Amino acid sequence: MNNFLKIQNLSVKVENKKIINDLNLDIKKGEVHAIMGPNGSGKSTLSNVLAGKSGYTIIEGSVDFCGEDLISLEPNERANKGIFLAFQYPVEIPGVTNINFIKTALDSNRKFRGLDPIKPGDFLKLVKEKSEILGIPEDRLKRQLNVGFSGGEKKRNEALQLMILNPLLAILDETDSGLDVDAFKIVADTINSTRSNDNSLLVITHYQRLLERIKPDIVHIFIDGSIVESGGPELAAEIENNGFERFANA
Amino acid sequence: MLNNLVLENFDQSFLKSPSLIDERKKAFSNLKKIGMPNKKVENWKYTDLDNLTKSIEFKPGIINLELSNQESKGINVREFDYFIKNKAQYLNPIKILENEGVVYLNISYSNEAKVIEIKEIQSQPLIINIISEGPGFSLPRLKIDVFPEIEAEIHLIYLGGEGFINQLTEVNLQKNSKIKLFRVNKSSAVHSETFLTYLDSNTNISLVNLSMPENNSRFQVYNSFQGRNSFSNFKSVSIPKDNCHDDFLVHNLHKSSNCESNVGIRSILNKGAVCSFQALVDVELNTSSSKAEQDCKAILLHENATMNAKPEMKIFNDDVVCKHGTTIGTLDKEQIFYLQSRGLDKISAEKILLQGIIKNYISDESPLNSFLPKVYQ
Repeated sequence: MNNFLKIQNLSVKVENKKIINDLNLDIKKGEVHAIMGPNGSGKSTLSNVLAGKSGYTIIEGSVDFCGEDLISLEPNERANKGIFLAFQYPVEIPGVTNINFIKTALDSNRKFRGLDPIKPGDFLKLVKEKSEILGIPEDRLKRQLNVGFSGGEKKRNEALQLMILNPLLAILDETDSGLDVDAFKIVADTINSTRSNDNSLLVITHYQRLLERIKPDIVHIFIDGSIVESGGPELAAEIENNGFERFANA
Repeated sequence: MLNNLVLENFDQSFLKSPSLIDERKKAFSNLKKIGMPNKKVENWKYTDLDNLTKSIEFKPGIINLELSNQESKGINVREFDYFIKNKAQYLNPIKILENEGVVYLNISYSNEAKVIEIKEIQSQPLIINIISEGPGFSLPRLKIDVFPEIEAEIHLIYLGGEGFINQLTEVNLQKNSKIKLFRVNKSSAVHSETFLTYLDSNTNISLVNLSMPENNSRFQVYNSFQGRNSFSNFKSVSIPKDNCHDDFLVHNLHKSSNCESNVGIRSILNKGAVCSFQALVDVELNTSSSKAEQDCKAILLHENATMNAKPEMKIFNDDVVCKHGTTIGTLDKEQIFYLQSRGLDKISAEKILLQGIIKNYISDESPLNSFLPKVYQ
């Protein structure tokens, strides 16, 4: 399998505090990786750095995506090349209709690939199909983007965008938080259904329950900005039973 | 400025309505005592109108109030003759604003008037174009009287102009009436409008104001809730031209019970632009179940842009629900990042956010939408 995402010796600081510390990670096409770690270990920083959020300083190291230096790209360029971050806390955008935004995002992606904007009829059909899978009612599509949405509604909306934009690498930053049991199953199973040999997932979570539905190929334990141990799904089960104490004290 | 007044220049105004000479002279005498508004007056603390008008020649300007469909059934349009026969009505604004220089100035030399009585429900909006065609002082007077049980929609459009326009507008809502107002201000004159509303019981007034002045502008609103169960909703989008000042003052005077007033502003400010927003909720002692909300949001797109916000509440009883909120800053970086993370470049992301701020008040379907700059439509 080809290298999709290759992180080498990456160290990142915010202001004067080092958050990511000499990180190495390879994700190959078709793989699902999970990152588990205690609060404050740098998981969300990693997802933000990969998506291109400002405010982080790369001290050293490199990140390649499909053979290209990711760090030099703007967030929108990364998105158009196939990176999607499902936010832990999706942002509210007043005055912007949800469905209009999703079409604008899709058309931006299409433009980058040299395609014409999607025809309105085709888009509506696509949105309707994916919304029904996720149990998103039509009226929510007409509401302002994430404004007044519950935590669960926001996460479903992130999943909807993921399905429609169909990225090469989806980074799920605690997508399971804020979801009730039923919504959790729908969202997790829907994301799982997007898996293919052509895309990859990086799942950031505290809990094994998500990984029972989106089965990872590799689980990484993330402590103080570094991967301290990698293994199979059994590692997630161990965390569920014993917590991070063994790794934190290693 | 008052020292430079050449009263003879306004003789024509006096001749036009000789029966109001005494009232005009008295008003002018009061104006001389009070003076033109300047920053020493608390309500004018952000605009020195005295200074702004100093360089404008004090002679009558030419201004027209053009109505789109004044022949419609149920609309009665009068001109100055109405005030000649109703002197008390001519002087009525002074009862509301006893010490306001711009009101006295208008009453002294008002040279164009329209009194619009709406007696039947209108199927089409009434459009009023206020057109200034020359330098000098233009002092239009507009009075809109909505009869009981009547609903109406009016568009007020101010484009271009020269010199100084000092308009006095009154909206009288009789019982159970309702009016929707859409206002566009793209005046290139120094512009001041004093907007007085009188709300009888069970009335409803909404005003959506798109203010894009190309000179310094002042829009001051006094909503007087005189009857129970009345409601006002005033929303402004302010996008002044670079280096121009857009000054708003809205006073909601709750004189009766069960009334609700909402006032909000969304301002987008670029190089050297200034927006000021003074909003007062005044709830009198012998009222109950009053509700009021003030909301201000400004986006500063340039380091030399300024937003002044001064929310005030004068509450004299306990049976009141009042809220106010003010947010002034640059575009939210988290929002920009969110949009960029979906593939939108930074410029598009910023544009969408600014459109979103405006769309909260001016939707795609609003009659004001077509007046917005293309980038915000």
